[in-house]
Amino acid sequence: MKPVLLIALNFVREQRWPIFVLLLWVLLLGIFGLVADASRNREDLLFIFKQVAVYVVAFSVFFGSSAIHNERKSRRVLAVLSKAVARSQYLSGLALGITMACAIYCLALGVTASWTLSAVGYPMSRVWFLMICLVAACMLAGTVALMFSTVLSPFLAAAATAVVLGLPGLASRTLAPNWSYLVPVYALTTSVLNTTFKSPGDVVWFPVELALLETVFFWLLSARVFSRVDISVAVE
Amino acid sequence: MPAVLEFDGITKEYRRLASRRRFRALDEFSLKVETGEIFGFLGPNGAGKSTAIHIAMGFMGPTSGNGRIMGQPFGEASARRRVGFLAENVALYHRPAERLVRFYGALNGLSGSYLAKRSREVLHIVGLQHQAKRNSAKLSRGMVQRLGLAQALVNDPELLILDEPTSALDPLARVMVRELLLEARNDGKTIFLSSHLLSEVELVCDRIAVLHRGKLVRIGRTGELLQSGEQSEVVARGISAAIFPGAVGHNGVVKLHVPASTQRAVLEQVWNSGGEVVSVNPVRRTLEDIFLEVTSDRDSSLPEKSP
Repeated sequence: MKPVLLIALNFVREQRWPIFVLLLWVLLLGIFGLVADASRNREDLLFIFKQVAVYVVAFSVFFGSSAIHNERKSRRVLAVLSKAVARSQYLSGLALGITMACAIYCLALGVTASWTLSAVGYPMSRVWFLMICLVAACMLAGTVALMFSTVLSPFLAAAATAVVLGLPGLASRTLAPNWSYLVPVYALTTSVLNTTFKSPGDVVWFPVELALLETVFFWLLSARVFSRVDISVAVE
Repeated sequence: MPAVLEFDGITKEYRRLASRRRFRALDEFSLKVETGEIFGFLGPNGAGKSTAIHIAMGFMGPTSGNGRIMGQPFGEASARRRVGFLAENVALYHRPAERLVRFYGALNGLSGSYLAKRSREVLHIVGLQHQAKRNSAKLSRGMVQRLGLAQALVNDPELLILDEPTSALDPLARVMVRELLLEARNDGKTIFLSSHLLSEVELVCDRIAVLHRGKLVRIGRTGELLQSGEQSEVVARGISAAIFPGAVGHNGVVKLHVPASTQRAVLEQVWNSGGEVVSVNPVRRTLEDIFLEVTSDRDSSLPEKSP
């Protein structure tokens, strides 16, 4: 467990600048809440909140699809995997790191939204439920991206992830709504996007639980794939 | 003596994308490295040295064959707990040197005051004690290489695998590394050293293997390889250099190199010609001579085969 945590913390440290840039969006929400007449512009405030919230899912895909590639390209992975670190532990560390990076963002967003949105009548408990939904969505999206990145370039891994995450959404719109639970990132994201002051939405844990379960499934799959992949190409 | 590193018939082929052609980096490669020796692993660029090392470290899998490191199959994470590895062109995270060494030590299961003490110790060993707080991004290439060596040593490994450890070092640092390797050997550790610096290898290695085009072409004890006894230098006087093809005469002294098998006949020929034998010595070859001899087949095409 210790190597996993070390790799995760190291990942967050290495990604501190992208995380910082992400947090600027939260700052934007905070500034808007501070300078705007919140009670008159509360719909705008909620719109910015929703927009800023879903960015993190895209970032989790970005983190996941590029993490292994960056480490391999820089050859830093060699020094890490030359230690008593199993490939599955390394992958777990990256997955945990992605989740931690996204959780930092969601925590900052949750705190800011609790302050700005709650002041204009949006239930605080709902804010935090949505943050949990987002973290679960990021965890799953990041793991799927990580799985593809074990064998594909970052661009292709991101594209493949978009297909896997997007298809259930497309199916839910064209076939039946329940298709969105196939890979519930779309379902979790829409629970954020569809929230309003009039109807903030119900607290439904099923998609969150499903996301956690599928994260484990995709992690197992990626660990299996990654254990068979050559992680270095000889420099000769 | 038990082998701490063993390659058994390892073949590694790379497939080229969008092509059915394959490149064979290692071809039925077998080798045993025994406990407590410094083993020099030589070969020209593209010979397959790094591929062999990366397979041993579990970074890649062989196409066929198998091997063991510290008694466990290649790729076992627990075996690497007793191994220190320095990659060629080492790349490390950017953070203060001491914290970096502690990070790598912690990955190997070290913790607490022992890790802190050991980190300071290895930085001192590689001469970076005054750079402990300096970010690795601000260190020179040679210092980064020494930092790489420090992270390889932090777990006090029984087996050190070093891929070109002195390539970026100045002469003083090379001497430091050489002494470090000899000291480690005296402590009973095993060192597997891949290097292009033949003079370094000649000075420290107990045994040497030369890899060429993925195949082992020469292996043996350093001393035996250098003094193969295949040739002797005969110095004589009172004879004409013209009697012996290839002989060089200067100030009445004639020097000639003769195969050991014909040495007796040559000496008799000197005496029969009325000459006097001044000295007969086995020719000491350099590692460079051996290296060039066994890798002299240098046409540019690399071994490829179609499936």
